[in-house]
Amino acid sequence: MDKRDYKNMWVYIEQNEKQIEPVSLELCCEARKLCDVTGDRLLAVVLGACPETELDKVKDCGVDGFIHVEGTGYEYYNTQAYANAFTVLSEKYRPSAIFVGGTVNGRDFAPRFAVRLNTGCTSDAMELVYDEKTGDIEFIEPAVGGKIMAVITLPVLRPQIGTIRPGTFRYEPTGGRENIEHIYERIDFPLEEIDTRILAFTPGEGDSELDISDAEVIVCVGNGLKDEASLGRYRELAKLLGGKIGCTRPLFDRGILPYKLQIGQSGVMVKPKLFIAFGVSGAVNHVAGVDAEVFVAVNKRADAQIFNYCDYGIVGDMDQVCDAMIAEIKRMRS
Amino acid sequence: MEKYGKLSPELMEELRAIVGKERFFTGEDIDPNYSHDEMPIYGSHMPEAVCEVESTREVSEILKLCNEHRIPVTPRGAGTGLVGGAVPLLGGVVISTVRMNKILDYDMKNLCVRTQVGVLLQDLAADAAEHGLFYPPDPGEKTATVGGNVATNAGGMRAVKYGVTRDYVLAMTVVLPTGEILELGKAVCKSSSGYSLLQLMCGSEGTLGIITELTLKLIPAPPHDVSLLMPFENLADAIASVPDIKLAKLDPQSIEFMDADIVRSSAAFTGNSIFPQKLQGREVGGCILVTLVGNSEDELYEKMDRLNDVAEKAGAIDLLVVDTPSLKKTVWSARSSFLTAIEADTKLVDELDVVVPVDKIAEFLVYTRQVGEEQGLYVRNFGHAGDGNLHIYCCSNTMTEEEFIPRVKVVMGKCYSECARFGGQVSGEHAIGHAKKEYLRESVGDTAFRLMSQIKRVFDPNMILNPGKVCTYTEEGKGED
Amino acid sequence: MLKILVCVKQVPDIDLVKMDPETGNLVRDGVPSMINPLDMNALEAALRLKEDMGGEITAITMGPPAAEAVLRECLALGADRAVLVTGREFGGADTLSTSYVIAKAALQLGSYDLIFCGKETVDGATGQMGSQLAERFGTSQVTSMSLIKSLDMERGSIVVEREVEKGVETIEARIPCLFTVEKTNYQPRLPNYRGKKAARTAKIITMGPGDIEGLDEKLIGVPGSGTIVPRIYPPVLPEAGQIIDEGSAAASAVKLCAILAAEGRI
Repeated sequence: MDKRDYKNMWVYIEQNEKQIEPVSLELCCEARKLCDVTGDRLLAVVLGACPETELDKVKDCGVDGFIHVEGTGYEYYNTQAYANAFTVLSEKYRPSAIFVGGTVNGRDFAPRFAVRLNTGCTSDAMELVYDEKTGDIEFIEPAVGGKIMAVITLPVLRPQIGTIRPGTFRYEPTGGRENIEHIYERIDFPLEEIDTRILAFTPGEGDSELDISDAEVIVCVGNGLKDEASLGRYRELAKLLGGKIGCTRPLFDRGILPYKLQIGQSGVMVKPKLFIAFGVSGAVNHVAGVDAEVFVAVNKRADAQIFNYCDYGIVGDMDQVCDAMIAEIKRMRS
Repeated sequence: MEKYGKLSPELMEELRAIVGKERFFTGEDIDPNYSHDEMPIYGSHMPEAVCEVESTREVSEILKLCNEHRIPVTPRGAGTGLVGGAVPLLGGVVISTVRMNKILDYDMKNLCVRTQVGVLLQDLAADAAEHGLFYPPDPGEKTATVGGNVATNAGGMRAVKYGVTRDYVLAMTVVLPTGEILELGKAVCKSSSGYSLLQLMCGSEGTLGIITELTLKLIPAPPHDVSLLMPFENLADAIASVPDIKLAKLDPQSIEFMDADIVRSSAAFTGNSIFPQKLQGREVGGCILVTLVGNSEDELYEKMDRLNDVAEKAGAIDLLVVDTPSLKKTVWSARSSFLTAIEADTKLVDELDVVVPVDKIAEFLVYTRQVGEEQGLYVRNFGHAGDGNLHIYCCSNTMTEEEFIPRVKVVMGKCYSECARFGGQVSGEHAIGHAKKEYLRESVGDTAFRLMSQIKRVFDPNMILNPGKVCTYTEEGKGED
Repeated sequence: MLKILVCVKQVPDIDLVKMDPETGNLVRDGVPSMINPLDMNALEAALRLKEDMGGEITAITMGPPAAEAVLRECLALGADRAVLVTGREFGGADTLSTSYVIAKAALQLGSYDLIFCGKETVDGATGQMGSQLAERFGTSQVTSMSLIKSLDMERGSIVVEREVEKGVETIEARIPCLFTVEKTNYQPRLPNYRGKKAARTAKIITMGPGDIEGLDEKLIGVPGSGTIVPRIYPPVLPEAGQIIDEGSAAASAVKLCAILAAEGRI
């Protein structure tokens, strides 16, 4: 294999109920910047039918073209047809890189077709950098619980495949291009060969407290939390501020709060107006999931890394600070 | 009844001058938590001033001033007590030791550590471990201060092998109510040198003096340990196995028991269902959790073999092994969350911390459940089966406080009488505070109670230090004789 | 008889891994190893199936010789046999080459109806191994599986639940099938003493590069890996924010509230 034979970058356009997942658009925007550096063309890969209005959003992100795949097997997500389509397309067109949104389904099939193509697959990069010398993309991601940043490359094999979590990159469309190319491919996957069948879908419990991705105020508790009993005051503060409570990975691991409240790269990405972190150490994986207008940190350790990410910080006992904030806010409002 | 002075603005200024304005609080600036401990059912009382002290000298100056003006002073650590011991019944000044949180130095040759009293138990334990040493006392509340542990002579899970907190206190610096600074004990392991004022201070609940520094004994950490869970179909069988466990020459580090109800509510509360509720198709009614230590893995396996024989004979459903660091963390954090789980899903709760002879545990638990239910309360319990120290919680989610208090008083009265009949103690490790005074008096008898009161007066002639606790009264008409 | 394969990994307790502030390297000395926590959920799912339907559970891992400790944990809990794939030649492998080796070794010892993996590891955290093993084994796959609802061996089908972003899918899959398991419904059990004692001296099948038939040396270890890690570096921290210190926690909190109120944030 000569990696120089592989050109252009692809973004998989993931659809859910005829709507394009935001992560696909985020990836188009980021890959656009990368292609501007490398001179590659940026192509969006769409499996099955997709409404024109949705495709317009993709065009806005500055793609140079589309690969539209028609055929059987794309009505609902299944590992086999999707992995097959990318295998067939990659063998035919030899892209340099393929970016797939790190959704549950994206992470399901991307590693699988990577193996079929005998190439490497990275996951959860937070930054993509082109190394001119080697011609490789550097996928930069936090490792070992966020204690270090690791640079990952594919020095020999192509395509370079990466799944990237929703919310990692910004959706900042730069506007459509002239002369968008449309490639149409027919790849049928025999329906009777699909080994999995969705019998039913139950939407997640409608508990709005568990949906924090759009919350304007988030009170986030970290591993500094003493025990479950101390949690009440943070709920109260969140309620007072019209916000919701969230947590870091250790609190989910400790079984104190559910996964849906775990903020960070491997949990929920949030973009609140006000974010208050209590007893949070500031691991990269966690803060990568926070895009706040005002970031407040409270931690008893003055050397906690979280203070590097905050606008305002208090070094002190998290419970005491929380109690005092509750009292003060009540006083200010009365 | 003592006459106390008023905390005038001038005195406030003098106190402020001693600790500095950053660590001195009055009026609305006082954190409301200073008015209670973890059992608000025994009443809340706000202090008039709080001094967050940082040195022995500050404590001494505050006490001198307060003694001169007869101002009540209540010492307080982390406020995690369960008998109102750190609650300022008469207002006055609270001296908080939370900022005296420095571990001072280790003596690696004589195996001891010198520390300020505001260091949290969990921090001391972790720091000692980093030095390759082991602080054996292990009370359930890891965020208590070591000063509070000494003042209550806290026991904990490992008492069955290693003894209680007082067994690890070699020396201390204590400030008497008059402001005099006294060094008690020496950093050596034996003493036959007069009355042990050191031991008198341990468990004195801040009524005789304020401890500011401690020299604590450490031991080399046991190289290997394993915890084992023995689930039984009913709690009585579980507890009946304890004497056999002790006789099997296993020298266990702890022998804990838990009933099915507490396991269920803790699992529901924490989402951590590590303790089985059903096993091999049989309902689990109670569990024994044993920790064994040894110098090698082989030694542990030998001990586990013997424990397995005991478990089989006693009718345990199985013998489950908790040996990896992550399992130990999960199991022991579940065990430590019992009280928190009760506090979290109970509106009203009162508790007993009695000690009964090990062979009477099961009978006593049946009795408390019965009298609790007679009064419409539900009862949760767990505790230290190895030494008979039981934690029994009488709870209600439906009553008002006015309905609850008289009913729970009836339950407490009956249970403490029954405990006395069995030859038990009022408190194993939570101490007396002001909540359990009457039961103490009944239990030790008038003579002993009078001696305690007289000792108190020798140390504290103006009765300013932690008034109304252990053996003194703040109410009108209740004297010490 | 139902044949189940459970894939596990030994990982360091990453909470205890520290970074040397001078060199930027990870300090792993003295950090205890453990079984990857999510692999325990995979094993639990397998054990419950075996309890209901009978069958044989094989546990497999690739790693240094010390990784046999995690296999003994699996045996203690009820796995019937354990396979350690080990050899210096396998070192430095990414998921591409690891999945190749594990599948080769496991298939040499038999075939499997169901394969269970943890959802991801705490150290690598790529979450790729499940899908890549399914490709190597040529089975169907259901990732993020949270509950097995029914298994019909005659029809060769299994019905499971799968957790996705917006809810739960009920999926019927053809056997053989590979699952990555969510922890939702599969809290691992505690091992019992009998199992523990037997596992202590149980035989572990050890396979080195020479024991695996038809192994292509170009596809193992570093040469067989698609990805490399050319360098690591400590996270670059932004400038510290403004620290509010009014002497006490309570006073600082009051000041903070004033600032936030002035900015119209609360």
